[in-house]
Amino acid sequence: MNRIEELSAYRDDIYTCNRTRCGFCREECPVYKVNRYETFSCRGKMLMARGLVEGLLSSSKEMAEVLERCLLCGYCQARCALKNMEIITAMRYHMAKEGFVDKIHMENTTKIIKEGRLFDSSALDKRDGNVTLYTGCLYRSSVKELSNILSVLEKLDIHPQVGEETCCGYIVEATGFSQEFEKIRERCMENFRHRKDEVTLTLCPTCTITLTEKFGLRVQHAVVAVNQRLREPEMSRRLKPLNLRATYHDPCHLGRMLGIIEEPREILQQLGVEIIEMEHNRYFSTCCGGGGGLTMVDDALSMEISKNRLRDAIDVGVDTIVTVCPTCETTLMRGALRLLNQIGEDIEVLSLWDLLDQSLKG
Amino acid sequence: METMLTEEIIGKAFEELGKFLKERVTQSPIHRMAYSRDWSPRESDAANLPDIVVIPRTMGEMVRITEIALQYGIPIVPFGGGTGMGGGTAAWKGGIMVETKGMNQVLEVDEKNFAVTVQAGITIWELNEVLAHRGLWLPHQPESKRSCTIGASIACDNDSTFGLRYGKIKDCLTNAVIVTGQAEAVRVGQRKSSFSSTGYKLLDLLIGSEGTLGIITETTLRILPLPSSRQIQGYFFRSLNESAKALERLLSAGLTIESAHINCRHRLHFYTHTYRQRFGREPKVPEWAEAILFLSFSGDEAIVNFNMEKVSQILSGEFHAQLIEEKEMVEGWWDSKHRLEFIPFKQKWPDSQRQKKFGSADVGLPIGRLDEGYHHYVEIAKKWDQEILGMTVYNESPNKATASISFAVFVDDSNTDSVNRFYQYVREMSEMAIKLEGTMSSYIGDGDRLGGFNRLEHGLSFEYMRRIKEVFDPKNIMNPGKKFESHWIRKDPNE
Repeated sequence: MNRIEELSAYRDDIYTCNRTRCGFCREECPVYKVNRYETFSCRGKMLMARGLVEGLLSSSKEMAEVLERCLLCGYCQARCALKNMEIITAMRYHMAKEGFVDKIHMENTTKIIKEGRLFDSSALDKRDGNVTLYTGCLYRSSVKELSNILSVLEKLDIHPQVGEETCCGYIVEATGFSQEFEKIRERCMENFRHRKDEVTLTLCPTCTITLTEKFGLRVQHAVVAVNQRLREPEMSRRLKPLNLRATYHDPCHLGRMLGIIEEPREILQQLGVEIIEMEHNRYFSTCCGGGGGLTMVDDALSMEISKNRLRDAIDVGVDTIVTVCPTCETTLMRGALRLLNQIGEDIEVLSLWDLLDQSLKG
Repeated sequence: METMLTEEIIGKAFEELGKFLKERVTQSPIHRMAYSRDWSPRESDAANLPDIVVIPRTMGEMVRITEIALQYGIPIVPFGGGTGMGGGTAAWKGGIMVETKGMNQVLEVDEKNFAVTVQAGITIWELNEVLAHRGLWLPHQPESKRSCTIGASIACDNDSTFGLRYGKIKDCLTNAVIVTGQAEAVRVGQRKSSFSSTGYKLLDLLIGSEGTLGIITETTLRILPLPSSRQIQGYFFRSLNESAKALERLLSAGLTIESAHINCRHRLHFYTHTYRQRFGREPKVPEWAEAILFLSFSGDEAIVNFNMEKVSQILSGEFHAQLIEEKEMVEGWWDSKHRLEFIPFKQKWPDSQRQKKFGSADVGLPIGRLDEGYHHYVEIAKKWDQEILGMTVYNESPNKATASISFAVFVDDSNTDSVNRFYQYVREMSEMAIKLEGTMSSYIGDGDRLGGFNRLEHGLSFEYMRRIKEVFDPKNIMNPGKKFESHWIRKDPNE
């Protein structure tokens, strides 16, 4: 008997995991590393899913709290062919439907529906160009960073057109509000109505994956466009070497999910950065701590995960970590500050865009 | 006599535990559900929920937990990687589930003495990541190493890919601390020395003890420098016995081999899915081949190459074995056994456990009786309606051919009757092993399947084992329902 509609499609996967218990997903799950109950790992959640399916467990606030403490980073998915992330998201839908969801997620959903964005931003000048840029509301809230990015793109002869946009709604869907997400999606699509077939340039990995997978749009992350440009000798000559030694943190959505793994590394090499890889890199990179809405419900846990990721960098003997995602940058910067305050470990978090800007300024 | 675990008793114990464990103790059904089963064949809807889950971080906390368990007569069930195939961690009698992975600290890496001291809840994978930074490794490497802890390796006496050269965990273990059923932390072993001829070898008692004597909290292990190179090879043989004889010959010639696994034709399928995907056809296996011997070699490159060349000369010259030319076939085996470079469930067949579950009779046989064992396996599996998956012979003792065998089948776990048929298969395979002068279990352990029935193997010594158990655990709180009692094979053959 299947008591939970949202899980009906996943019954086989749930039982397959339950009867196997290989644990490939568990040990490197960033949440499990901090909260040591198996329940916080994917295979623990698969038993929880079975509990729901068979009616051994009931939906509860506690269950919602466990599910909210998942980054949806996809590490477990990279280690397993079962549909782990879909199952966790389906359980989140179920919790939201039953009314067991953190208040902050409801407030965020309401705000996005009402205002069209999650993060407050100052008014951004519209600009004309030959390629549409979807900035995403997190970058839009950081004027300085966004202007750096625009300046980098211009210097590489990429002329972005910036106009009206509304939030892609990733966080709404990820926190279990599937119906509300549909409304947000429809509104966001309005801005793409006349340019559905054009390629849109994106900056935020999370928006990129949402626009690609949920909206079905033709999207190119700006890192890919920049890398293509820098393959032209005339463009690469514009760069001044930075002579830096650093590690690169793959954002989960950009690397593991979109497969944009080598492009940022190639750019870093062009910038004269010696890349020292961390133990967990590329497809098996681990999350910064900012994924899946965790920061909003358990910031302390998010910061522990962030510090663990920074320790991975310290372990390979570097004091600089570069990344290219607004969530990763913010979360890692906050984690770095805590590491400095708590144990005096100093590690600098840099955005790939800032390095490009610096190099292009000469 | 077992205490009735009433809500009141559990509640009182929970309150006491909460005083020092805080958020590291729970009665929540959500968390209890996450500890409700391991990898052992059970009904697909089986769930053995413990009453309480605790996550101790220190030996001192483990002692205090045991004191409380003793006071209230509550069982203690250890949980390591949760990948056991014998039901060793199934809390079918309820109790306090001890999540041992909270004790996962490396306490000392003594490079000068090639010794590492760790809390026993560290996984083998995690420990080897730490050691690799210093050019060292722990050669005890079960296939479950991503998940499996050091403590569980000791308690379950599990297999090791590199057993032929380095043995199993007992060959690395020099010291341990166990919190017994008397709530005492007892240090056993010889510190960093590899042997001792003083006293009784209590350290050896821990190997395969399955949590029935106590919880292992700390261990010291002999570690080794990482080899600088590694190579793998495979050979086809006309019979299983012939391949085992050939292995013994290679070792007596003085060659050094790290791993040697002998597979029957059926089992080869287990390692060739990637091959089939890539080439769209079955790998080329000669019709006459009844056994496939996979080997790995490690050390300095020149010595590895020398070893491989000599192996090739002896196997083809003296045994008419055929080298497997298709490297991808051999790589498939190695990805599965050592590198773990595969994605679980991606393979449609046979790794996938979507419809049916992997189950195994893990008997040990004398090295000259492999073909005999194989024929019995085919008959017994057929009798109990078990679909044959194939047989692998692991060599798990340093520098000699030995036979720790996985006689694997697919278990239909959709209902109790079909799971019971699997355990009838295990039972008859175990009886067969005793008749052939072997053992019922060589790497899974008694768990909750062979307990009591194993008297058939041990005779009077079974009673001495019981008395030893009473010394360590007089109130029988340490993992009851295991080793001396079975959830599955209940009938005592001597009664």
